[in-house]
Amino acid sequence: MLAAKDTQKQEILGTLVGQGDPVIRDLFDAWKRDELFVYKPEGDEAVPVQIAGGRDAFETAQAFRVSDESLLVGEDGGAIEPTRDNMDRVRHNNRLRRAMKEILDLIDLSSPTASTRLQAVQTLGFSRDLTKLPVLQALLEVEENTGVHQAIRQAIALVQLNQDDRDVRLAAVKELGDIHSLSSTDALGAVLKNATELKDAEMIVASNEALVEIERHRSVVDFVGTIFRGLSLGSILLVVALGLAITFGLMGVINMAHGEMIAVGAYTTYLMQNIFGAGIIVPAFGLSIGIPGMNLEGWAYELYFVAAIPASFLMAALVGIALERGIIQFLYRRPLESLLATWGVSLVLQQVFKLMFGANNVQVSSPAYLSGNWTVADIVFGWNRVFVIGFAILIVLGVWLALNKTSLGLLIRAVMQNRGMAGFMGVRTTRVNMLTFGLGSGLAGLAGAFLSQIGNVGPSLGQAYIVDSFMVVVVGGVGNIAGTVISAFGIGGIDQILQQYLPAWAPSLGWVPFIGSFLQNLAQDSSVFGKILVLALIILFLQWRPAGIFATRGRSLED
Amino acid sequence: MKFSKLLATGTLSLAALFSTVQAAETVKVGVLHSLSGTMAISETSLRDVLIFAFDEINANGGVMGKMIEPVVVDGASNWPLFAEKAKQLLEQDEVAVTFGCWTSVSRKSVLPVYEKNNGLLFYPVQYEGEEESQNVFYTAEAVNQQATPAVDYLIEQGYTKFYLLGTDYVYPQTTNLVLLEYLLSKGVPIENIGGGFRRDESGKVISAGKYTGFGHTDYQQIISEIKQFSAGGDTAVISTLNGDTNVPFFKEYAAAGLSAETCPVVSFSISEDEFRGLPADQLVGQLGCWTYFQSIESDANEEFVANFKSWLAGSSLTGIVKEGRVTCSPMVLSYNGVYLWKAAVEKAGTFDVDAVREALKSGLSFDGPGGTVTTQPNMHLTKNVFIGETKANGQFEILEEFENVYGEPWLKGKFK
Repeated sequence: MLAAKDTQKQEILGTLVGQGDPVIRDLFDAWKRDELFVYKPEGDEAVPVQIAGGRDAFETAQAFRVSDESLLVGEDGGAIEPTRDNMDRVRHNNRLRRAMKEILDLIDLSSPTASTRLQAVQTLGFSRDLTKLPVLQALLEVEENTGVHQAIRQAIALVQLNQDDRDVRLAAVKELGDIHSLSSTDALGAVLKNATELKDAEMIVASNEALVEIERHRSVVDFVGTIFRGLSLGSILLVVALGLAITFGLMGVINMAHGEMIAVGAYTTYLMQNIFGAGIIVPAFGLSIGIPGMNLEGWAYELYFVAAIPASFLMAALVGIALERGIIQFLYRRPLESLLATWGVSLVLQQVFKLMFGANNVQVSSPAYLSGNWTVADIVFGWNRVFVIGFAILIVLGVWLALNKTSLGLLIRAVMQNRGMAGFMGVRTTRVNMLTFGLGSGLAGLAGAFLSQIGNVGPSLGQAYIVDSFMVVVVGGVGNIAGTVISAFGIGGIDQILQQYLPAWAPSLGWVPFIGSFLQNLAQDSSVFGKILVLALIILFLQWRPAGIFATRGRSLED
Repeated sequence: MKFSKLLATGTLSLAALFSTVQAAETVKVGVLHSLSGTMAISETSLRDVLIFAFDEINANGGVMGKMIEPVVVDGASNWPLFAEKAKQLLEQDEVAVTFGCWTSVSRKSVLPVYEKNNGLLFYPVQYEGEEESQNVFYTAEAVNQQATPAVDYLIEQGYTKFYLLGTDYVYPQTTNLVLLEYLLSKGVPIENIGGGFRRDESGKVISAGKYTGFGHTDYQQIISEIKQFSAGGDTAVISTLNGDTNVPFFKEYAAAGLSAETCPVVSFSISEDEFRGLPADQLVGQLGCWTYFQSIESDANEEFVANFKSWLAGSSLTGIVKEGRVTCSPMVLSYNGVYLWKAAVEKAGTFDVDAVREALKSGLSFDGPGGTVTTQPNMHLTKNVFIGETKANGQFEILEEFENVYGEPWLKGKFK
């Protein structure tokens, strides 16, 4: 077949529909990877062969016959080397790929993994092909997974909407309403339109009811989804701001280099990824430092992220301690100068990142255990998001324990409240300052490790988060960890609620004199306008409570 | 007629004579790109390929016997500075032609300078159209050489719903407005176009699609909207998101269980060069549309890529990156621009801007790495358009080719 012309290929593919041979999948996969070639010696019949690695691997790879997987040999018995001249790549265009997909979908229906079956069932439902109805009905009998079972019901109902029999269509409409099928709103809308034209009262009522039912379900999904997204955004803000809550909140250092501490953590994650992988060469200060890799694969490689969490904490803490020893310790009584000095440090660090890792963003891959999701009744809970919420809770707990239940925590609190007095009591304040700044920076590093999973890792990573961090700490009340927690979740929640519901509220903004229509338009761009509103709310809030949610008396206010 | 022909040949032979007498003479050519600041990542690649093209031409005898002497200036991602530098190139260095600019805002900023001094600028990056200056030659993709062929392809593939998403500035806004008109003209009902609309008081749509700022990081809300919008199947996302923001977007997209098979994304701002900073393995199967892909299998392209790589290895330009380099559409359009200018100068027999412009308008062709390109009277290029699917190695698998698409800058209000 592979040697045939494109149109013939398509016909042959047509005959393969319904055959469940797993060989077909391997063959198609190889085809899509461009590993199939046709070897055509002059005068002889063409031989389809597979070459692992495709054209790029011609010099090293060998050609194997597709028919019996034997090595392709010449007349003298030696292996024939593939070259550009003797091999024709078996091309594939979209039509062929679609035909392949149809066959594969049918094979997937009997796949042992539920998610693969689910995908295949959904595709069949959307195709709304009446000939596939018996297959689906047979599947309904044997399916045990509830999610897939529901999907099959939906697919059957969707296909039945195309049936001639009006009663079947009516039942299908009701069925779709019963199972709250979000994906069938378009189909039901079409049914409603059609029924209105035909003045079919019963059908109009039924499809309207189904749509209302689905809409109600959708608003529940939106509501729960918004709360979840608010929590996850709040957690990110919290993770990002917690380190600053210590360096700025407790110690009173206006630490503009906080963002770069986050970037240190993110780059450490990148390094760990490469150490677990193939290794990396980092040019630093004129030297090329080669870091060998462990060349792990599969799950062992994906564990890099677990190792990256403590590594990024330590790395950022070390940089933070160096920064404290080198610069900040001389500036404790001069907050404005510490602002300028740390800003300078942040510029220097950004340049160092550029020199070491290039001006481009670097790629940090997400391990499989962080890139999936749970879908419960159409609400998507991304694993990375669930992870950040749990992660935030854990580190807040950790910080609280460290500050309140350990002797170091006691010393930290003592020094932060009154350095002079603590010094007279025999506390080594310089050492405590150093460790506190290290702790704050280390927490920023942890934030960096996590941010590498949801966004860019580049030299300017820190810049994107520095404003948010200060905002959270100031709103929460400088010097108060509990305030930081509440303000992070508050800001995150309000932001997501505004983003979700602003477009719906937008039309009602018309009453505002003069700028009503302007506001209506602005509110359509909910991601931008939501941010503006949040900032405006924060300014108003700080007018009312200048010291934040919890006003604490700290050293920064007394010095 | 006869006289003018005689005159033309006369000038030509005179010029030829002149050049043989003073073979060492040079012609100054400006290169105006950001070599520092945010745009440096993209624009430095264009500087590299321009210098490569000049070296190639100089090695083969130059333009009408004159060696090209590049004057490279740094726009530093600072738009007013672009205008300053353009002025310097035209008034102080008196360059014969300039190759430069990436962002539309930098082009708009230098435009008055070129018009005032009657200079000539070759602009190589996909743009939003609605502009046709006599002092700019647009080798760039016009909207109908990128966005509308991509939509044609999607419609042909059976997609019926489209979600428009972009970064909030002039190129995505204008492109999406044109796309809205185009989709409506293709019979796509307005409720099947997602992302939201903004209307003025009379109800006319002034902005279509969803926009986020530069450097936006939280795509949860937008992804959940896309997820619901695409629940009924046959949906594609048309993205004009810029560079960086694609990473959080695609990470969120993957985490929500969307994939190229259920809801593909066609991106107009991601070429091979941008892929160097993106997690390519998470973008497998997504679509791109350009007038050149590095994966084009032709002798001209393979030769171009090989020559460029060997040139890179021997180059000693400041700040040049040698590892992991690729070629992409803006680079090839810059390269084509240099050769088209050379052809125009040779046809006109002079470096004079007015004569060169007339020659360009007369329909010159060049067999570039992406196939033959032909200049048009409206200062744009006729070229081949390719739709590609991304692969894990950061290259594109070509799915479809539209041959010789005429570049048409004025599209607003054209599709009814």
